Amino acid sequence: MSASFVDASILDEAKRIIAAGESPPRVARDAVNLPMVRNWLEAMGDDNPVYERDGIAPPAMTQVWTMRGLRPVPDPHDPLAAMTAVLDAAGFTSVVATNCEQTYHRYLRVGERVAVRGRLVDVTGPKRTALGEGWFVTTESTWYVGTEPVATMLFRVLKYKPAPQAVLRPVASPDTEFFWAGTVKGELRIWRCEECGALRHPPGPSCPRCGAMRPGYVVAAGTGTVYSYVVHHHPQVPGRKAPFVVALVELPEGVRVVGELLDCDPAEARIGAPVRVDFVRVDASLSLPAWRLS
Amino acid sequence: MTAAGTALPEWSVEITPTLVVSTAIATRDFQDVHHDRDRSVQRGGKDIFLNILTTTGLVQRYVTDWAGPEAVVGRIAIRLGVPCYPYETLTFTGTVAEVAGGECVVDVAGRNSLGAHVTGTVRVRLP
Amino acid sequence: MSAAIVGIGATEFSKDSGRSELKLAVEAVRAALADAGLAPSDVDGLVTFTMDTSTEIAVARELGVPELTFFGQVGYGGGAACGVVQQAMLAVDAGLADVVVCYRALNERSGRRFGQVSHALAGASTSSGVDAGWHYPMGLATPAAMVAMVARRYLHEYGGSTEDFGRVAVASRRHAATNPHAWFYERPITLAEHQASRWIAEPLRLLDCCQESDGAVALVVTRLDRARDLPHPPAVIRAAAQGSGPDQYVMTSYYRDDLAGLPEMGVVARQLWRRSGYTPDDVRVAVLYDHFTPYVLMQLEELGFCPRGEAGRFLADGGVEPGGRLVLNPHGGQLGEAYIHGVNGIAEAVRQVRGTAVNQVPDPGPVLVTAGTGVPTSALILTSP
Repeated sequence: MSASFVDASILDEAKRIIAAGESPPRVARDAVNLPMVRNWLEAMGDDNPVYERDGIAPPAMTQVWTMRGLRPVPDPHDPLAAMTAVLDAAGFTSVVATNCEQTYHRYLRVGERVAVRGRLVDVTGPKRTALGEGWFVTTESTWYVGTEPVATMLFRVLKYKPAPQAVLRPVASPDTEFFWAGTVKGELRIWRCEECGALRHPPGPSCPRCGAMRPGYVVAAGTGTVYSYVVHHHPQVPGRKAPFVVALVELPEGVRVVGELLDCDPAEARIGAPVRVDFVRVDASLSLPAWRLS
Repeated sequence: MTAAGTALPEWSVEITPTLVVSTAIATRDFQDVHHDRDRSVQRGGKDIFLNILTTTGLVQRYVTDWAGPEAVVGRIAIRLGVPCYPYETLTFTGTVAEVAGGECVVDVAGRNSLGAHVTGTVRVRLP
Repeated sequence: MSAAIVGIGATEFSKDSGRSELKLAVEAVRAALADAGLAPSDVDGLVTFTMDTSTEIAVARELGVPELTFFGQVGYGGGAACGVVQQAMLAVDAGLADVVVCYRALNERSGRRFGQVSHALAGASTSSGVDAGWHYPMGLATPAAMVAMVARRYLHEYGGSTEDFGRVAVASRRHAATNPHAWFYERPITLAEHQASRWIAEPLRLLDCCQESDGAVALVVTRLDRARDLPHPPAVIRAAAQGSGPDQYVMTSYYRDDLAGLPEMGVVARQLWRRSGYTPDDVRVAVLYDHFTPYVLMQLEELGFCPRGEAGRFLADGGVEPGGRLVLNPHGGQLGEAYIHGVNGIAEAVRQVRGTAVNQVPDPGPVLVTAGTGVPTSALILTSP
């Protein structure tokens, strides 16, 4: 699919959701009440006495009344959720809120029960941003007491594709290119001296054992055990999402090879664990050797 | 008499894990990034961080602490910047941008060591 | 041996020097010459690290040094720290130069940060670049992670705990806390704080990793007979050594039989003891390169302060605590004072020999100082005349 086709289909979906208009009202779990107001004031460290004195809620608390709680139930009418699904499907999977503009027509009073209705206002993109290419999605929520609108909020998020971070590519030399030619074909090749039969990794032009310069290779069986490993957390490494595990694996052929231990819960990694080789395809000319627990 | 250009006194809040978690719960925001450090780090954060409803609440408090208890807030419009993690000091500054008919608009910014966490305007009716 | 360190100089240690690395180098060299009671016109040799961004000729130009008869650069990152002094010693000993200044200047925090992934190294068309290809693309791309691979195996083989690593950090930070030049002046840490610090590359935590610093240090080396006429008592170079081990790589010597050690430091140690005539029993003050704590344990073993695999016990038994067997990094080390690629540790060894350190050990005897670990490395033993 071309990018412009994807863009057009995102905009079509946006139009559809905008046209659907305001969602049905979703009623707050609780009426405006002093215990929740007090919890909020206490947490914010706000000692303004008017709320308790007059039985009103802080305006910045408006949205709190209609929060979905600890175990939110998916709302098929929520326009932001609908637009999020469209953008997720197009690969714009990350989200960051950028703007929140709340207008309070009046303060809410204890005992009032609000309901909120939402609508999609605007979808703009694709835009190049510091975070990556993305779409700005703006929704408007209105809170009602009965039929009276008491507050509105414009809320804008950026839904973006995290800028792809390329893996670091190995520098191959004439002495090592056979190894990388092998990984592309799904072979883990181990350097072998054609004179004395010594195996080694990493490879080089000369045999450290006999001094011959007749390098060849054998294809490893592809098994091994973890000799040591690292759980990497910081800083970021190109092409990887922390935490990830990198293992130094000892092969039955007698050499050691470093590779990521794929899909490994860091808590599962241990020295001595049996592993199998795998190959992570980067592109047509590069695959990286990696390991999986077997 | 409040006039355009009047600066609000600066206000600094020490952001503690307790503040992040208690405000997240008080605003009924149970997303794990606001109370579970391990999950937040897994998702690429440095730690748990303040939720938006709390940032809005702190902006409101900053302005009403200055304007007095009888002030009535009509609008809070904020732009969100860098996250605010525990052990940061969040420092608010503000300036009166306009005064008209008993209402004023205050420009507010909240900064931490990473940069601007929040910038925006608050419209408030003074008593 | 007949060479000595007769001058030391440094800039302030910071996180953002606000000036060029060349300027830092020149400031440190001028300070070291002033300390030695010498002038730029006395200098005829300059030595630095291959990683330094200020060449010998650039520094010479700024100093107004008219002629150089000896210049050179030593490789392998922090492994060069004592190697540059060895080069200077060889030069003055052989009569190739009279006064040689060693310097290292870096904006390591505000400029290029070594703790981040180095795209330049990973992409270099050199044997080092090809070596990096076996590790960087696989995600093993930072110094901390490269050390963690060895540290994990060390814990596996010898059964220690990460608290053993923490005791090194606690000792360095305790010393830094009373060193006004240290970044972490008045900020000691506890073992519990070490254990609570976040993971960087398991089994290394944040407090196992040295800080990142801006700054420069310079050292003036001359013949011992000339040193006697200068203002400070000379720090005599009793032994200087470099070492590289079997199947050596830079930070990733993972393919040798024994992963849980630093054989290159063993190569250095054998030379030091043989040349100086001292034994580990004679040494009470050691400045051991501490970019990452696990390698301090392995150095204690390779240098002979304790048997293989027993550094954890050595530390747990109070080996580097007050009143313990060894005073480790009395300036605060790179964990506590600053990361000037080990050269600030040599300056501290000189101060200990002179008797002018902030955390002075009375009558310290021979002072041992080592250079970067996990790489081809070097070390010195300094004494009073």
